Amino acid sequence: MTAPSVRFTDERLANGLRLIISEDHLAPVVAVNIWYNVGSKHEVAGKTGFAHLFEHVMFQGSRHVAKAEHMALVQAAGGTLNGSTFFDRTNYFETVPSHQLELVLWLEADRMATLLDALNQANLDNQRDVVKNEKRSSYDNRPYGAWFHKLQEHLFPPEHPYHHPTIGSMEDLDAASIEDVAAFFRTYYAPNNAVLSIVGDVDPAQARTWVERYFGEIPAHPAIPAPGDTSLPPSLGAEAREVVEDQVPLPRHFFGFRAPVMGDPRFDALEVASQILAGGMGSRLYRRLVREERIAQDVAFFSLGLIGGASIVAGQATVRPGVDPAVVERAFEEELERLSREPVTEDELARARALIETWELEALQRVDERADRLSMYATLLDDPDMINRQLHRYLAVSAPDIQVVAAEVLRPDNRVVLTYMPAANATAATTDEESAA
Amino acid sequence: MTLEEILSARPAPGQPRTYEFPGFERTILPLGLQILTVNLPGRPLVSANLVVRRGAGDEPADVAGATVLAARAMTEGTQRYPGVELTEAAERLGATLHVDASWDAFVVAVDVSASRLGAALELLAELAERPTFPESDVARLRDERLNDLLQIKADPRRRVEQAFAATIYTAHSPYARPAAGDEATVPSLTPDVLRQVHRRVLAPAETAVVIGGDLEGLDVPRMVEEALGSFGAGSGSGAGSGSKAASGARAPRADSAVDHPIVRFYHRPGSVQTELRIGHVGLPRRVPDFHSVQVMGAILGGLFNSRLQMNLREDKGYTYGVGAGFDMRRGAGPFSVRTAVQTAATVPAIAESLAELRRIRDTQVTSAELAAACDYLVGVFPLRFETPGAVVAALAGQFIQELPDDELARYRREVEAVTIERVQQAARDHIDPDRIAIVAVGDADAVGAELESAGFGELEVINEEVPAEAGAAEEEPE
Repeated sequence: MTAPSVRFTDERLANGLRLIISEDHLAPVVAVNIWYNVGSKHEVAGKTGFAHLFEHVMFQGSRHVAKAEHMALVQAAGGTLNGSTFFDRTNYFETVPSHQLELVLWLEADRMATLLDALNQANLDNQRDVVKNEKRSSYDNRPYGAWFHKLQEHLFPPEHPYHHPTIGSMEDLDAASIEDVAAFFRTYYAPNNAVLSIVGDVDPAQARTWVERYFGEIPAHPAIPAPGDTSLPPSLGAEAREVVEDQVPLPRHFFGFRAPVMGDPRFDALEVASQILAGGMGSRLYRRLVREERIAQDVAFFSLGLIGGASIVAGQATVRPGVDPAVVERAFEEELERLSREPVTEDELARARALIETWELEALQRVDERADRLSMYATLLDDPDMINRQLHRYLAVSAPDIQVVAAEVLRPDNRVVLTYMPAANATAATTDEESAA
Repeated sequence: MTLEEILSARPAPGQPRTYEFPGFERTILPLGLQILTVNLPGRPLVSANLVVRRGAGDEPADVAGATVLAARAMTEGTQRYPGVELTEAAERLGATLHVDASWDAFVVAVDVSASRLGAALELLAELAERPTFPESDVARLRDERLNDLLQIKADPRRRVEQAFAATIYTAHSPYARPAAGDEATVPSLTPDVLRQVHRRVLAPAETAVVIGGDLEGLDVPRMVEEALGSFGAGSGSGAGSGSKAASGARAPRADSAVDHPIVRFYHRPGSVQTELRIGHVGLPRRVPDFHSVQVMGAILGGLFNSRLQMNLREDKGYTYGVGAGFDMRRGAGPFSVRTAVQTAATVPAIAESLAELRRIRDTQVTSAELAAACDYLVGVFPLRFETPGAVVAALAGQFIQELPDDELARYRREVEAVTIERVQQAARDHIDPDRIAIVAVGDADAVGAELESAGFGELEVINEEVPAEAGAAEEEPE
């Protein structure tokens, strides 16, 4: 079984908009996905949370679309939609019955061209309140809720654009003005800073005509500023540790590592290693900490691919009642160290490869996932064909590759250890992406 | 044309491609087990579910949680594959075997490439028929459940769900407790109890194997018969021992514990938000006005631009999101409005939610609201069934709820036939402000006085402390 190849065209309009079209008539549905090359890494001190707040504003109307009408029109067309913001990018996506494609293209073009016509103080204030409630419900009012933001702070120095959380701070959200929002739009929301992918039951010639019609006249922005310097030493240089008291019944360790950027083959090796470490009942950490020694309630290990100097690899283990948290930490770290000391077995590698193959096939069944990946690879790596090579890259990872990258990345002097401890009377304080809905 | 001229003309939809829910074929094996196959050309990843109409809703109160725990414990080893060997064998096929128990059903599932379906079905059968429930692993899973109950107390979102169910149902209803059981019964769930659950699940006349994907060239009924032909043999629950009518009568009790408006506030000092659930005992899945209820629910709290969303989020900014709807099971599951609001907005958010519940009963929805909801439900239908996993899950649901074979095929026609009058009737019949329960987890000190004077109903404040670790979990001797 091999994932079917995704055939697509890749072109640019005169104004710089990158257009990717992939035809697949299996189901009568089409996915539209726009990635703007702007994320929380473009924010500066005092204006954190801006890219994400702006994503919310994108649903508040444009010259020919009323507040909340974008949602209403897509849903009445039988479609689903959302947007999301992370360090490197902001994206907007709709999946609709294929005969509604033109409507979606028009909606996206109208807000790319005319958003500021509908921007007003009331809408901004309203979405600021919504986002502050998003922060409360996703982080502040959740047990262990701040873990990812704390890892960010330790993994990236204060001057690095990945140091601050995408959701921003309450103070910065409060300070956001109409002028700030307008300036953000003028700076980053332009056709030459976007990738538009259309995947599914589509006539490419017709789609191209519509894209030319609705987007073709939107002027390019001549000078889109680059984000701040993202270069980093490959390793932290020294272990960072923090103990956090929270209203939680069970202690939990979070581990973080600075890792190679997305697109680096070593990052692929880390993803395969994550599967061997904590992917299900047959994995090393689960087997030892949960099943055999019974010192952890649960374990996890995963990677987040980024392009700004480093990616993040992270893990966690919840300590069972009555167990010394230090014992759990030591066992977890021993398993990471073992990965660098001896090669994984052929059977472990074969199982990981077989599962990854199934999951890739499963993910690529859906037109929305294909559209998202095409936009992602085009935006972050300038290489949409990575969609067809990624599986082969995973399957090519060898036991020595894993051993080498584990020795390089999963080492004590490149490690953050964050330990949550139950605090009897502490005030209650996931992970990464922010969404409009 | 100028950009303005281009953008000022809103495009009209094109000609929709016809869509029909995929047809399926049924084969019935001698013991009564049904095989439902659905061929989906071009979908090489096949989804296979073994579904038994036996769930947590059917279990006796003194072993509450046994069905869910049995499902979890099944992957801990079988006669032929002790320990994690079964997991490993599945992984070599690129497959993950899942066992899940819900209120209504017990499901063993696998997704695998068509070429490896036969081998995967052998593993699925081994798992379904011959689990061993090792003493030591069952003890560990029991502890994990007890630890998870501690974690629930610390998580306002999970805590409020648990408290809401315990508030609206009497103790006679299984729905009053968590499906996975609580401190009262979980410690007593021994391997023998789980083996009894498993014997109950070996009920071929209550079982379907639903398989979807590109099945070209595969004789799926024969493959299933080879793997599962003796499923439940000798269990005494084969064909003839339980008719459809008899199993339909098994719907769990769902008595309401609430006969007048009440407010139950779980006090967590310092909470920055209040988690809210507002509602009452709702409806079972098999109701004659199902489609009217769906449309009404979409308008009230299902669509992104639902009345509740437009009010509480887009107008007031009280919340990141609010939804409402009916959780329909074989018995009457809950109806609830679900949201989390900033602490200071707690009372106004409750007031606005109650106002929306009254408004959808008292006044008719507009024709634009009706059209938006119907168009969404009809239009999104093909999107929901893009993958074999989704098609198989829907057919499994049809089997579990004992719905007619054309339930999914006629869904869109039924939705299109819903009228403004039927929406209002559904709201009047099924939303009852006179027995509403408002359950909150938040800072009662910060909203207490305002809440009392609001007069939403009989108020009870419960002080909650998040359990500290020490001594909180009962360690089971192993």
